Amino acid sequence: MINVNSGSFRDPNSCVYSIESKEGCKSDIYRGISQEMLKNFKKLETEAFYKRLVDEKRVVETKLCDADDKAAKSIVKNGWDGVLRHEALPLISYSYEWPFAMLKRAALLHLRILTDALEAGWTIKDSTPFNIQFNGTAPIFIDIPSFVPLGEGEPWTAYRQFCCCFLTPLMIRSHLGIDHLPLSRSYLDGLPPIEASKYFRGFSRFKRGVAKHILLPAIVEKRIEAKERDSTPAKDRSKQKVSKQFVLALVDSMTRLVKSLSVDVQHTDWSEYDKTHTYIDEELQEKKDFVESFIQTEKPACVIDIGCNTGTFSNIAARSADLVIAADGDHDAIQKLFLNESKNSKFNNIIPLVINLANTSPNQGWAGKERSSFESRVKPNGILVLALIHHIRISSNIPMALFLDWLSLFNCDIVIEFVDRHDEMVIKLLQNKSEQYLDYNRGNFETELRKRFKLVTEKQLKGGKRVIYHAEPN
Amino acid sequence: MNKSNNLATLVLALSLFLYPTFAHAYVDPGSGSIIVTTILGFLAAIAYTFRKYFYKLRKFLKMEKTKKEENRSLDD
Repeated sequence: MINVNSGSFRDPNSCVYSIESKEGCKSDIYRGISQEMLKNFKKLETEAFYKRLVDEKRVVETKLCDADDKAAKSIVKNGWDGVLRHEALPLISYSYEWPFAMLKRAALLHLRILTDALEAGWTIKDSTPFNIQFNGTAPIFIDIPSFVPLGEGEPWTAYRQFCCCFLTPLMIRSHLGIDHLPLSRSYLDGLPPIEASKYFRGFSRFKRGVAKHILLPAIVEKRIEAKERDSTPAKDRSKQKVSKQFVLALVDSMTRLVKSLSVDVQHTDWSEYDKTHTYIDEELQEKKDFVESFIQTEKPACVIDIGCNTGTFSNIAARSADLVIAADGDHDAIQKLFLNESKNSKFNNIIPLVINLANTSPNQGWAGKERSSFESRVKPNGILVLALIHHIRISSNIPMALFLDWLSLFNCDIVIEFVDRHDEMVIKLLQNKSEQYLDYNRGNFETELRKRFKLVTEKQLKGGKRVIYHAEPN
Repeated sequence: MNKSNNLATLVLALSLFLYPTFAHAYVDPGSGSIIVTTILGFLAAIAYTFRKYFYKLRKFLKMEKTKKEENRSLDD
């Protein structure tokens, strides 16, 4: 069955369609395109810069469908003049799930592609992170209709959008230490300069790039608004020309600025978990063996490791899975995992995401459908839930039954670790709490687990303070 | 950043105090981009030219002969 992508309606020249594949995590992705886009694409695919970007796997591989292609025939009936088929990607993720380093790499990819395009007489008309996805730790540009021939004297049309969507969140985290993810999640079109300028007070206004890319645009926008308000006609600025050298120099300057931005990984409870956990080496090895045995026996193609910390168990899953989605609410743990994977990954099949389980990415945007929820974008065959349930119950106040209900929605095998009340980490969590969560005990957990899953095997860890279960859907 | 850019940055930052804030209505918020990109493109082109000649001079003084490969990495 062909589905229209609910987030693909802003560009009148194209629309994305998907056909769910029966196996694995991927769907077949098609795009209906207009006559204008068809003409552009035929020219684009002959360009050396474009071929190089495709070869480097920086732009998604795309082919024009033959007229007798079955899926293309159905899509053309919707009024399109041609149909493209894109290489399917393992997962769609959003910039509000990416740590700083992922957003920065996506921004640098955008600037790299824009530079190549400009030098070859093309440009990219949009500049939103929704046009970039990750294949492991490698960003890949997916919005082919964004490539358009560069008009004479045409400025960097998507400069403002680049600043709103990429640069401003990066500067807010790097210069101010403010978490950019809730802002990116709320401002789907990016943080406008006037709003962004309110975050930069005092000396922070003198940090690199702030005056040029946030304060100056804010001033200009305010002046225009003041001059052209009410019934005053808007001035026609569409005929103003900018030298191509100015555009290239601005993109080069932006690339230098983005490269200069950085954040340090702080020592949080989770970013150093691989060194600070309470397991002794032999016990940790037993836990690893249990997970390894599950992975090797069941061979799940797509695994979600929720509460992954810095990815110790994601790496075990990555040895045989096609895709591992490593999710954790701690930005710095995910940042560390992403940076480690970038340097040392053997398989490039782990996608680290910052996901707060008590508030996962929702359906949102236009009509609540433009951007999909985390749950609707992932199709796991196995889920690892290791040493997490005590945080769900005690820190987030979510009853075990509701959490297990949520896990059962994915209808796949799980490996779940229960941390009992006498474990030192649960004792620490309950310290100074008036509510003692007496329902949180192994008996209740197993009762609730059995209502939704069938136990395959279990193993006691840490002398019985913890138990790890492999369970399959009822 | 070179010194001229720092000075421009300072002037722009100070001038922000002079204007009140308004919510956008009919005016396209992106209509000011052409002004912004022209100013910033001009400044960037000056810096770019300065850098280009600086590197040429450095190369000449150091007697470098090998041509550097283009850096297409997405890392720092």
